[in-house]
Amino acid sequence: MSGMTMTLPAPLLAEAKSRTGKPGRPMDEAHFETFYRRHAGGVWSYLFRMTADAATADDLLQKAFFRFLRANPSLASEEHMRRWIFRTATNLAMDHFRETKRERTHTPELQGEAGAPSEPRAVLRHDMMKTFSELKPRERALLWLAHVEEADHEDIGEALGVKAKSVKVLLFRARKRLGELLTKKGLAP
Amino acid sequence: MSETCRFESDVLRAVEEDRWTDALREHLTACDDCVAAMAVAPWMERFAKMSDREHILPDPSVVWLKAKLLQNTAEANRVSRPLDVAQFLAYLVVAGGWAGLLTWRWDALMAWMNSLTPAGIVQTAASRTPSLSLSLVAAVLMLASITVMLALHTILAEE
Repeated sequence: MSGMTMTLPAPLLAEAKSRTGKPGRPMDEAHFETFYRRHAGGVWSYLFRMTADAATADDLLQKAFFRFLRANPSLASEEHMRRWIFRTATNLAMDHFRETKRERTHTPELQGEAGAPSEPRAVLRHDMMKTFSELKPRERALLWLAHVEEADHEDIGEALGVKAKSVKVLLFRARKRLGELLTKKGLAP
Repeated sequence: MSETCRFESDVLRAVEEDRWTDALREHLTACDDCVAAMAVAPWMERFAKMSDREHILPDPSVVWLKAKLLQNTAEANRVSRPLDVAQFLAYLVVAGGWAGLLTWRWDALMAWMNSLTPAGIVQTAASRTPSLSLSLVAAVLMLASITVMLALHTILAEE
């Protein structure tokens, strides 16, 4: 990556400076590969649950990591970088929905199948994906970040571009809505 | 309303481990947030654990290489931006030059073009006076040269 200028986003730069007092060298390939192998699976799962399309999830995953490399976050902590990549992935997913304007109906893998899967695990997977895709993208992101990534309200707010104090209300509504869907489908505990 | 309920993580852990205390049960009677969280937590957990192992992720070296190429392209675009601006300005100057020349010496040029008949050429040769002034010829040649150079530059730059 030598010879390439990469800009560190303000929060990462602030953290990097606060820890070392000077900006550092760009992340090298080995460091990137370690980080990627550790976190790409989780980011892909999130993007796949958001978009219900493996190819789109692949595409957004790569874009997220392109941005990550451009941001040169080599000095930030692993946890900070992980939060950063999820935030970027969320932004990319939301941009994707805005661009395609298929927020509620864009479930290609689910709609594209000729028939319902027959294998029990595949049926369960299909039903779960279908249920989750009935939520709005923002509700999906809220639920995944809160329940799976265990992100706090501030992080969720940053990822979704809403105030942290709004997250509690939005999350409550998303949970209620998923709860209603599960009840309607007879899947509620 | 801005903070997570401080019992929420305890409630979620209790759901996961199915170990409830009286205090948590009591809390659930008064906290809508925790009730809503409890209602979806087991499903979200199963959903998160749904296997994605059959999907092969893009290789990190490919992602690294693509990122590098994109950065190179972005850098090249950034560096070439002043050249693009200069090229655009050159187009404007040349177009302005031709427009100015045609406006300034329109009558002379029209007279010269009208003289390009066999009779006109003979008459001009006989009179031994040039039909166009030297300054006009020089200006036309200069502008034509610049136009050709600009066109060649554009073609070569695109290639």
